[in-house]
Amino acid sequence: MSAQGGAPSPGPRSGSMGPGVNGNGMAMPSQQPLPGNPVHSAPTPGPSAPPSGAMSQQNLNQIVIDYLAKKGYSRTEAMLRMESANQEIDGRPLPQLGEDSRPKTRQGFDLLKNWVEENLDLYKPELRRVLWPLFVYSFFNMVTSFYPQDAKSFFETNKNMFLPEHTDDVRHFEPISLPEHLQDNSVAKLYRNNKYRVVLSNPAYTNLLQFLESKDKEGGSVMNAILSSFCSVKTLDRAADDRFSFAAMLNQIGADQTFPAEDEGIPGHHPGSAYTGDNPAMAGTLPRLKLGRLPMEQLLEEDVRAELAEEDAKQPPLAGRNTLIQEFDQMIKNEDDDEAPSRADIPFPPSTARDVQIEVKKVMEHRDRFEIKARTGGVGPGLSVCMFTFHNTYDGVTCMDFSDDSQIVAVGFQQSYIRIWSLDGTNIQAADPEFDNSPPASSRRLIGHSGPVTAVAFQPCATAREGISEDDKVPTNARWLLSSSMDKTVRLWSLDSWQCMVVYKGHDRPVWDLSWGPFGHYFVSGGSDRTARLWVSDQIRQQRIFVGHDQDVDVVCFHPNSAYIFTASSDHTVRMWAVSTGNAVRMFTGHTGSITAMECSRDGKLLASADDQGCIILWDLAPGRLLKRMRGHGKGGIWSVSWSVESTVLVSGGADGTVRVWDVAGSQETTQGGRILNESGTGTRLDAAANPSTSQTKKKKGKDVVVTADQISAFPTKKSPVYRVKFTNMNLVVAGGAYLP
Amino acid sequence: MSVWNPDNIRDVAESVGILNLNNDVTENLARDVEYRVAQVLEEALKCMRHCKRTVLTTQDIALALRNLDVEPLYGYDSTRPLKFGEASLGPGQPLFYVEDEEVDFEKLINAPLPKVPREVSFTAHWLAVEGVQPSIPQNPTAADSRNLELISKGPNANSTLAAISGTGDVAVKPLVKHVLSRELQLYFEKVCSAFLNETSEDYRTSGYSSLREDPGLHQLVPYFVQFIAEKVTHSLKNVFVLTQVMHMAEALVQNKSLYVDPYIASLVPSILTCLIGRQLGGPADLAESFALRDMAASLLSLIAKKYSHSSHMLKPRLVRSCLKTFLDPSKPFGAHYGAVIGLQSVGGSEVIRVLVIPNLHEYTKLLGDGLDDAARRPAAERVLGALVAVLGSLRSSQPFLTNGHTVTDDLRSRLVDKVGDIIASRIVEAGEVQLAHIILES
Repeated sequence: MSAQGGAPSPGPRSGSMGPGVNGNGMAMPSQQPLPGNPVHSAPTPGPSAPPSGAMSQQNLNQIVIDYLAKKGYSRTEAMLRMESANQEIDGRPLPQLGEDSRPKTRQGFDLLKNWVEENLDLYKPELRRVLWPLFVYSFFNMVTSFYPQDAKSFFETNKNMFLPEHTDDVRHFEPISLPEHLQDNSVAKLYRNNKYRVVLSNPAYTNLLQFLESKDKEGGSVMNAILSSFCSVKTLDRAADDRFSFAAMLNQIGADQTFPAEDEGIPGHHPGSAYTGDNPAMAGTLPRLKLGRLPMEQLLEEDVRAELAEEDAKQPPLAGRNTLIQEFDQMIKNEDDDEAPSRADIPFPPSTARDVQIEVKKVMEHRDRFEIKARTGGVGPGLSVCMFTFHNTYDGVTCMDFSDDSQIVAVGFQQSYIRIWSLDGTNIQAADPEFDNSPPASSRRLIGHSGPVTAVAFQPCATAREGISEDDKVPTNARWLLSSSMDKTVRLWSLDSWQCMVVYKGHDRPVWDLSWGPFGHYFVSGGSDRTARLWVSDQIRQQRIFVGHDQDVDVVCFHPNSAYIFTASSDHTVRMWAVSTGNAVRMFTGHTGSITAMECSRDGKLLASADDQGCIILWDLAPGRLLKRMRGHGKGGIWSVSWSVESTVLVSGGADGTVRVWDVAGSQETTQGGRILNESGTGTRLDAAANPSTSQTKKKKGKDVVVTADQISAFPTKKSPVYRVKFTNMNLVVAGGAYLP
Repeated sequence: MSVWNPDNIRDVAESVGILNLNNDVTENLARDVEYRVAQVLEEALKCMRHCKRTVLTTQDIALALRNLDVEPLYGYDSTRPLKFGEASLGPGQPLFYVEDEEVDFEKLINAPLPKVPREVSFTAHWLAVEGVQPSIPQNPTAADSRNLELISKGPNANSTLAAISGTGDVAVKPLVKHVLSRELQLYFEKVCSAFLNETSEDYRTSGYSSLREDPGLHQLVPYFVQFIAEKVTHSLKNVFVLTQVMHMAEALVQNKSLYVDPYIASLVPSILTCLIGRQLGGPADLAESFALRDMAASLLSLIAKKYSHSSHMLKPRLVRSCLKTFLDPSKPFGAHYGAVIGLQSVGGSEVIRVLVIPNLHEYTKLLGDGLDDAARRPAAERVLGALVAVLGSLRSSQPFLTNGHTVTDDLRSRLVDKVGDIIASRIVEAGEVQLAHIILES
């Protein structure tokens, strides 16, 4: 509710949009209906605000008018209305309206833009960052004060300079032309209800203020007002922050696109911390994370140990190899330095024979894997990628998952069904011939959803062990499949009976993504209703709802110790939540596009998130900071990322039809100590002909691909977008795509 | 102004019975409609992204409308692209509509059933093996992926990574066919084949004239230079080819619109080969080979004249090469011939005076041997002729001073001392008194 809606009295102020008011259209600036209001005050003071002096004055007027109306003094009333219309609420006479009194937003902005471009190279990068919030709020001001045409032309002339970074926001703002839209638009609301945080170095900020004050009359005052009322400028000492160093400046000269600093942006958050309030005492604190491996259940560990000892006796390790027991000990003791969550926090059902087998198999695979050592002398590992290409899909594939044992693949289709193939082309075995009377085939369909399938996920599983007697054999294959759909449901399918077992209802908008917990049992889903929900697979109600994102939750994933989940949203943030408490513990900002894929590293220390601008960001979880930005993918979405077993290599695949391998260890620019490397190699433009000084708007979009130095290799496919890449436990990469001729 | 035409609003208003709608209201409503459309599109984009597509389809719009609790628009099929027809309401008032095919019922019934879409299936292949992409049909060729930006470049790039991943420099080396426009490629091929066409003189001359006169061939210069070098290296036995490529080189140098300076260094070796090569062509075509040497010499003189200003080492280098050949007794006479005329054409009379005349006395012995040998005689004759001719060139550079003297015995003996008996006798026979004096003076 806006102020004018809540206070009905003085006539011309509230009924401003009526067509009959002397025929003055809203485009005519001479008699503006909302004259004094827009620029300096926050645009939506709620009607329930405590009565201030201004408020009581207004109330008094209203009381008098009501009184006059009641008594029938209509002429006096009309006179009072007329006179009070020309007054500010607190009684001061309104400034005369005319061409001059129009807020000089546009002039101010242009002035500032030119000034920034002519400024010293040293300050330019940071000052440029100020332009975006000023642009947004100037535009809002023009819209709220009913200058739709001005607003539009202002937007059109200036939007290009922000397109590379703020594509989504620009697209959201573009259709706005009326104040009602501002109230309605979710992104605009975000900007209006929060202060935009900008980081400037001290000299740059003082420079800016001096300039604005000197140009007070030509529009500087308007800009100044915007800065003070809508932005919160954080000043930093130049020397203290290496972001402002000369080297960093030089790095940026070549790159035509800069990226927002971590602490810049709308939620005004404190880097890493999920706390978004203003309390400075809370600002710096980061909740302590327990990133260690979830300890194994005592009984399970004993069973696994016994089983491994038996295996060792049966098949002694090759010379130079660890025994399985030794390998197992190494695997569990690895992370002693980290605090681990206790099993009491996250209840699991008691372990079964299947769990034992899976754990044993994991140890065996871990020992026999293709080891990716830390890189030596700048040489990346040579990975092998097995690609599965789907044909005749007509762009209908929406999601894909490979089972952990690499036996089957599930593909979700836009036509609402899921299809499962065995990867080796053999017929899928019927687990229970009585229930299952369909003819043998190498694929099965799962039909039940009523909207495009948005995600499929196999239950964690392991390859069947060989050389086990028939009685001891426990099936370790994937028995359950989860799928989410735009029909707002999540479904659990049994891969024994090929039936839908459970429909999980809870989301009230389309469900965009889901992910199994690392040990099964739990899963998390995220959807268009801006929530992520944690479920236990044997209950039809969600156990936790994670609320806080400002936009759709696009991607979800689990931490490998099952104690945390990550959610990524269209608001360009990634949040980390504790499963046991349901609280947000970290928040990461820095993406400039919608996040399309995310995975936590297997050692639990890093998170990789990828967006549709072709950018992959690595986050360091414990300090909550951005580790580096890796670019190389074309625009259009990176559909999947996956970590190697050692967490030293990341592989990604996306809409540009390439599978790319990335080096996780920091590139040569890593700085030691507190502040971890802000931007990895700024990358270099590939088309040498392009002159960096020409404006970036003229360049073709497709040419703007930058490949950062930490890409180890890129493998193009034949016109096949890659929907899924996955490292197996043995460090082989499995990729799935669809050939779209 | 909004993109959405306010007239549409008025139409809708009239259809529900509101006849006179205020202008402001329509405009306002138009803006609102526009905003709502954008909202739907935004939602549709979301659906597109989550269906992992990069093309927005009508299906996405339908899903978006459903998500926004609006009844979807029916009748739009996403399997085939929408076709819009255009009709005209009047001048400058086009009306677009979705074209709906008229289907004859009879035909529809009798038509064979459409093809059933093929079953979704998959194939597996190795996209990479130990970091290297195998070149199998399932993987794109280097040419296919050339325009993709695959490898990090620039100062930060790690060259080892590129080399290891098997997509090092090999892939980025530009190939002729891909840098040049199709027309230029075609032109290049045509001209090359025309030049080497043995049967048709017309083709050769038109190719020559085109290369000599046509502007806009600059992109091709390196390829022509390369072509020349290649032909010279591989066709030493074929005088025809060598002559033709010399013509080609000449045309390149003569073309006013080309900037050949940077390529002279790579052009000269080929020409020198044609000038002082040991053996050009087979033993049968002696005359042609000497003609070729003459031609190469004149070309060299042209180049020396034209480009010595841009490369001051050009002349000395040419002269040195020629002189070295001239003074090498193991070289055949053909090479000596080329060297002599080369020296003359590059350096003119000054070089002859300073470099050739002092050596003539020694050279006469070699020449004498050659003249005695029946097999080498024709070539030796040519060298002799060339030597006399270059000596003769000295004459023109000196003013004509004396007249009417015959060659005295004294003069003759001095001349023999200076240039050897064979040449001396030739000069005396020709009665070139002035020349003899000039030679003696030098």
